[in-house]
This record gives sequence, structure tokens and C-alpha cells, in this order.
Amino acid sequence: MLLEWLGKLTYLQDPLRPPGAVEEDEFLQRCIRCRKCEEVCPYYSIKSAHGEWGLKMGTPFISPRDIPCYLCDDFPCIDSCPTNALEPVESKEDIRMGIAVIDKTLCFAYNGIMCRACFDRCPIYREAITLEQELYPVVHEDKCVGCGICEHVCPTEQTSITMLSSHKVIS
Amino acid sequence: MRKFEKYINDHLHSLRRTIQVGTVLLIVTIPLLNKIGFHAVSGTFYSLSIGELDIVDPALALQTILLTKSIYLPLLIAIVIPILIAVFFGKVFCSWVCPYNFLAEFSEKLRRKIKPPATYRNRNPKPQYYWLIFGIILMLLIITGVPVITLISMPGLITSQIADGLFYNVVGIEILLVVILLVLELFVASRFWCKYACPVGATLAVVRSKHALKIKYEPGNCAKCSEKTENPCNKACPINLNPRLAGIYPYCHNCFECVDRCRDIGCQALSITFK
Repeated sequence: MLLEWLGKLTYLQDPLRPPGAVEEDEFLQRCIRCRKCEEVCPYYSIKSAHGEWGLKMGTPFISPRDIPCYLCDDFPCIDSCPTNALEPVESKEDIRMGIAVIDKTLCFAYNGIMCRACFDRCPIYREAITLEQELYPVVHEDKCVGCGICEHVCPTEQTSITMLSSHKVIS
Repeated sequence: MRKFEKYINDHLHSLRRTIQVGTVLLIVTIPLLNKIGFHAVSGTFYSLSIGELDIVDPALALQTILLTKSIYLPLLIAIVIPILIAVFFGKVFCSWVCPYNFLAEFSEKLRRKIKPPATYRNRNPKPQYYWLIFGIILMLLIITGVPVITLISMPGLITSQIADGLFYNVVGIEILLVVILLVLELFVASRFWCKYACPVGATLAVVRSKHALKIKYEPGNCAKCSEKTENPCNKACPINLNPRLAGIYPYCHNCFECVDRCRDIGCQALSITFK
């Protein structure tokens, strides 16, 4: 009963985690909520969860519509992590924070307005997002790192490209 | 050396207050420096980085090892400094640095103003209670898999909320836990958190060695103040221990208020020693 209730608290939200984050179950156990990744991030992308996140409180997350992850060359956040909750990555292409999903009902390009904001700004250029018939953006799940830059630059009022976190509680 | 020792013994209170105030300044300055792009020092009392040097709270390292059931070498290296301090000086982190203790000391002062205790404690509690509570916390941690120590670590909670507040102007509702504990200590059970429950202090108490810095009582030098009034050294103890009796450890966190008070009234019965 108590465990079930505690479990529910941890399921509240599935946030985008900083680069290199291990699988969510493991992450929640390794992360000691020290805030160092938040403090060293040069773009102020990493924020920390609070009490309303239940037992995920204190863990770092990125809300890309405000500030996405700009994929630094040296990943100071990974470097600052004392418990290996953020594991070192070889290159930015290896990161899997989430996957971008396009809402075709909102997207300008799919509604006859010329727009290539997400395609132009994608850091995995011409690989994670390509243009079909030179017009329609398509996300390639095997290439997308989940940085959220596309979500940040999307010009529609309600973003038409959203990041789906790859960090969900599995157990 | 003698002179140095005497100086330390005579100025324990002011030295401690200086370090406590310095700590408060530090935990406000670090996030502000980080915010303007200066990253040489970063972190909270969960984990602090000075340049390339990582320091992690040993209680949290213990938690990570118990939860992940694996050992991560850099984490072990990161706890060496706090462990060494605890081995040689006991729980000095609690009394000289911890911001929660700083707040709680003032709430205890307020408590004694509002309602002066009828008698000061003559006995010290059995150490078994201390280890029992720590054991329960560790069991809870292992059974539920929830990082309990992180959630109830007062120094970490306070410093991280200050950091969040200065960084993004948001303070989480979990800061209420600090307020609740302070109110409970003020009106219900005086200083129960630091004395019995805190897992951060308990981890330091585990590694404290037999020859760590401690309080020495020499009955021969004692003016036996108790025969006239309440004992000044008893009264001085912020967590209600009796330094003239055995068994103040593992509760005592070496704030040395009793030694300072004893010296103030011109007596030399209490002193600090490694022996």
C-alpha cells in the first residue's frame, strides 16, 4: 500500500534529463540531487525539480521550450556529476535524451506555410531531421538526440514539435 | 604549541561562530558566482566541487552504494576528505558547519527563553537509540529503494534550496520540511533531529575513531558549580548532554560550548584533547 503510493509519486512526470543520463530507475537511485550540473550549465538549461514532482524532487531536468540543451563540446554537466548518474558520452551523436515528435496538425510546413526552423537549427544537421520533398520535416528516431533545440525554435504559438523523454520509469 | 592550544581552548565559541557565519556566506556566494559564469567552486552540501576536486557527503555515498549495489570508484575518492575529518575530529561538520544546526541552535535559545527547562539533564541517553534510528533509516532505504537520506538531509536540503532560489528564483515546497522540524524542536522535542535522527551526522559518527578529538573532564579541577546552582556546562550544551558524565558520544558533535563556558567561569575542568 505504502509502496504503491510512493511508486505513484515517482511516476508524476517524465522529464527530459541532462545529457548522458542513465536509465530512469537507475538515475533516480544514483542522482544525489547535488545541483552541480545545474550550476555548471553555461546556458542555464538544467533546472531542478521541486516538491510537486514527488520523489523526483531535486533531480535535474531540461524544459526545452524555455531553454534547450545546446550540446556543449565538453559536457560540463556530465563532468560535474559525482555519482555517474550522468555517464560520459563519446560524442554528441551518442546522446539519447528524448525523441522529437511533430504534430502535423499544428506544424506550419504541413499546413502550407513555408517553415524550416527545426530543420535549419537541428545540431545533427540533415540527419535527425530531414525535409521530405524539400518541404515537410521528418524526424529520424535513430538519429535524434533529444536536445530540444527544434522545440525551442518552433515558431507556432503552441509548439508543434515536442520532445518525448526517453527517461521513463520502467519497473 | 602550548600557547596555541590555550588560545584554541579559550576562543572556541567565537571560532565556531566565525566558521558558521562563513559557511552561510559561502552557501550564498557559490550559486551567485556560478550564475555569473565562475565555476571554480560549485555544488551544495550534498556534493561540493573545488576545481577538479569532488567532495561528496559520506551519507549519500553510502546511500548510493546501498541503492545501486555497486561501487563507483570516484565516489569513494570523493568521500575521503569528510571521512578523514570525522575520523580525527568527530562530528565537527554538524556543529561547526551545518546550516541546520546553526538555525536549530537559535531555536533552542528561543525555546529556553520562552520556557526555561526545570532541570538540565543529568544522564546521557544510551547510544543504542542513536544506532537504532540510523539502522531504521538504512533499512527503509534498502526496502523502498527511495533515496531517503537525500530527501531528509537538512544541510543538503537547505543549501540546494538556496542555490535554486538564487539561480532561478524558485524555492521548492520541500523547504517546509526544515520549517516543520524547527517548529517541532521549538515546541515539542528539543533538538531531536541533530541529536537522534540525522543520518548525515550518524554516518560521521560511525567512522569517528576512538582517538578523535573529544571533551575531557577532570574532576580534580572542577569547581563543582552544581552544588550551588545548575551546572553551567550542562546548561551550555546545545543538545542537552552532560559533559561531566561518560557516554556523551555518539551524540556529542564537538561544538565545545561546554568547554568554552567552563573556561569562562575560570575553571579548567573541561578541555579538548585527542587522547
